[in-house]
Amino acid sequence: MEARDSGRLRSEIKALIVSELNLKGRDPETIEDDVPLFGAEAGGLGLDSLDALQLAMAIEEKLGVHIPDAEEARSIFRSVRAIAAHVAKVRSG
Amino acid sequence: MSAPLWITGLGLVTPLGIGVERTWAALVRGDRAIGPVGLFDASAQRVGIAGEVAGIPWPSGLRGQSPAWSRASVMADAAALEALQMARLDVGRGRVGLVVGGTTGGMLETEQLLARLHAEPTRRDALAAMLSHPLTATGDCLEEHLGPFARVRTLSSACSSGANAIVVAASWLLAGELDAVVAGGSDGLCRLTLSGFNALSALDPTPCRPFDRRRRGTSLGEGAGFLVIERADRAAARGAEPIGELAGWAVGSEAHHITMPAADGIVVASLIGRAVARAGLTAGDIDYVNAHGTGTPLNDAMEAAALARALGAERARVPVSSSKGQIGHTLGAAGAIEAAITTLVVARRTLVPTGGLDEPDPALGLVHVPHVGRGVPRVRAALSNAFGFGGMDTVLVIAQPGVAARDGKSVSATGVAHAVSRRDRSVAVTGVTVFGPCGLMGARECASLPGQGYATDSPVDPDAHLDAARARRLDRAGRLGAVAVGHLLAESGVTGADTGLLLGSAFASVDASAAFMHRIFEKGPRAAAPAEFPNLVPSAAVGHVSIYTGLQGPAFATADLEASGESAFVQAVQLVRADEAARIVAGAVEPRSGMVQGVLSAIFERAPSRASAVRSDLAAAILVEALDEARERGARILARVEQTLEWRGDRGDVLAPLRAPRSARADVLLARPGDGPDRLLASTPWRAANRISCAPALGESDALGAVAIAVASARIGAGIAQDALVLGLARGRGFAIVLSGG
Repeated sequence: MEARDSGRLRSEIKALIVSELNLKGRDPETIEDDVPLFGAEAGGLGLDSLDALQLAMAIEEKLGVHIPDAEEARSIFRSVRAIAAHVAKVRSG
Repeated sequence: MSAPLWITGLGLVTPLGIGVERTWAALVRGDRAIGPVGLFDASAQRVGIAGEVAGIPWPSGLRGQSPAWSRASVMADAAALEALQMARLDVGRGRVGLVVGGTTGGMLETEQLLARLHAEPTRRDALAAMLSHPLTATGDCLEEHLGPFARVRTLSSACSSGANAIVVAASWLLAGELDAVVAGGSDGLCRLTLSGFNALSALDPTPCRPFDRRRRGTSLGEGAGFLVIERADRAAARGAEPIGELAGWAVGSEAHHITMPAADGIVVASLIGRAVARAGLTAGDIDYVNAHGTGTPLNDAMEAAALARALGAERARVPVSSSKGQIGHTLGAAGAIEAAITTLVVARRTLVPTGGLDEPDPALGLVHVPHVGRGVPRVRAALSNAFGFGGMDTVLVIAQPGVAARDGKSVSATGVAHAVSRRDRSVAVTGVTVFGPCGLMGARECASLPGQGYATDSPVDPDAHLDAARARRLDRAGRLGAVAVGHLLAESGVTGADTGLLLGSAFASVDASAAFMHRIFEKGPRAAAPAEFPNLVPSAAVGHVSIYTGLQGPAFATADLEASGESAFVQAVQLVRADEAARIVAGAVEPRSGMVQGVLSAIFERAPSRASAVRSDLAAAILVEALDEARERGARILARVEQTLEWRGDRGDVLAPLRAPRSARADVLLARPGDGPDRLLASTPWRAANRISCAPALGESDALGAVAIAVASARIGAGIAQDALVLGLARGRGFAIVLSGG
């Protein structure tokens, strides 16, 4: 049950990434749970700090979870899995 | 040999005070004017402090009387008037121009209207408030109150607007077209910019601390700065004295990112090098730098890297300060306010400080002027830097009169040294593109464009022509522009490295601004979308297109209501003629707009048939190039630019200086048919020429004027016509462009 919930949350986050950051034509499900979202790492999504701000606002608005600024956000925004973990932690917290 | 350009008048309205002397005294004392915003309720903002101007001096009798006057226009008027008075310049005598830079125009006033519309969507009684909305409103107000000027230009390149106004002035003066120019910028605080900069997390919760190791962002400010710049020979002839000399300048685009500067500072360093070389100086002659110095971690690091690169070992000698710790970031006014401050530093041999700089960041390696100003033995020459969203960067060199070397050589915008007096300054059109209901058309197809009828209600799809990943940040205007400009570059075989970009738009992103504000009214300022905000500045499309297509020459937006495309084209011709760029893409981009169709068209006195017409998505781009350089690269020349005229007001004889067509195969190209063109043409040798209007084929759009230029050039290039006159008219202004073949 919990696993299915967290899978759904990750899908929701992936859909949010595609719609909020206008990754047109990208199937959200092709974003892997652990792929690096930010920075120029090979195989990563290559998002930047402007994307991070937009995504933080969307997560706050759509999922009701606040993303802290700066350093903490950096580790939360590592991957879809990390974002989902933060959202789940805040919600259960 | 080019005439020196003297700065003979300065005018300032800043949060530190109204007028040059109040601002100067406070700057040197180290006063800081950044505190809680009182203009509007900022209590729900993450950061609610800014530099606000107190006691704005409304021209007598105007307050509350004329809805066309925004707070930004009043500040501009006061600063321009002070500059004119200091220069003792009579606008009515001689050829005096006006250039106004800005970003938000009458947004504060527009917000009040939008708030009412948000509460009562059907309300239409207070729409006159939108008269102050367009960026052109400030230039129009100054023309009315301080004019008539020989020429008026409105431009935006985000936070370098004020500096680019000065560059445009310099190009006009060096081309010998005007004797003096009042140039500057004005911007007022508003909810939109405060919410937007907060959304970008770009604001320091305390008054900003440029170059400090604890810096956390900038602080917004507001104000206006204007300079009177004159050709030294003309100024001396009327007995004027120089305060300083505008000795050098360089403009370029990073083509990197819509909000972030390129961290390496390479583009800025090369601009500093070119501006200093243009003045005939070296880094050893620079005694002070007034930095852009916003106080964001990234800007200050980039600027320090650029200064290190450009000044080399001299960096250890040259003091650097930023005025933003005292007055905040005045956005579209900053480049002009800070150029005026830099002029005073040179003239008074007194350095101004960096407010709030308690712990200099050792990583920056700069020499600072902390807390208070101080006198120095000499300031031979100084830099003033201004960088805008989209990477539109401008560097000015202001020197003591006589310091700049005058050896008859100069460095052009492309960085190539050559004699200033290039003999052939002819300008040609070497490519055209139109993108809209007609599809994507190059020079060959454009020649027969007006003879067709296109489905103006079917949607235009720019995405089919764009790389989805690279285009994801582009708004609709950016997309339309990227398609048109991309096609033009490909057809013309030019790359972006030394190509500039000037795009006109009547009302820029008014729909997106309204949507942004409605969201804030509904959900509060913290719901402001970070990714949306950079698209709201009038130069957003220019920034996006320059990034997408890699254009690195001078780039900014112009605004002249529905003649904005014409003003962009004429300005491009003037810049190429003055050797500020080898080539510039000029044009107009106008996405279909509900605000323009539903609100603005009615207010700006357009004929009811036009106001209610369905509007098309439309973009047109024209490659404007120096004729000799076009020939050198073997370019196909569509048409030569024989003459450009521009005017303000509604006089009937504005076309009197117009050249006659050389042949019977002459076209008159119009955006749309009407009484205005008929009346003006009646007394000219063009009255019998073949008249072609673009609106019937493409539908209504404010970009039709740029289409008319493209079609005129294409028809000459195809041998259908030998001569063409493009007549572009808008409320209280007009442009005439004569093109010919051969």
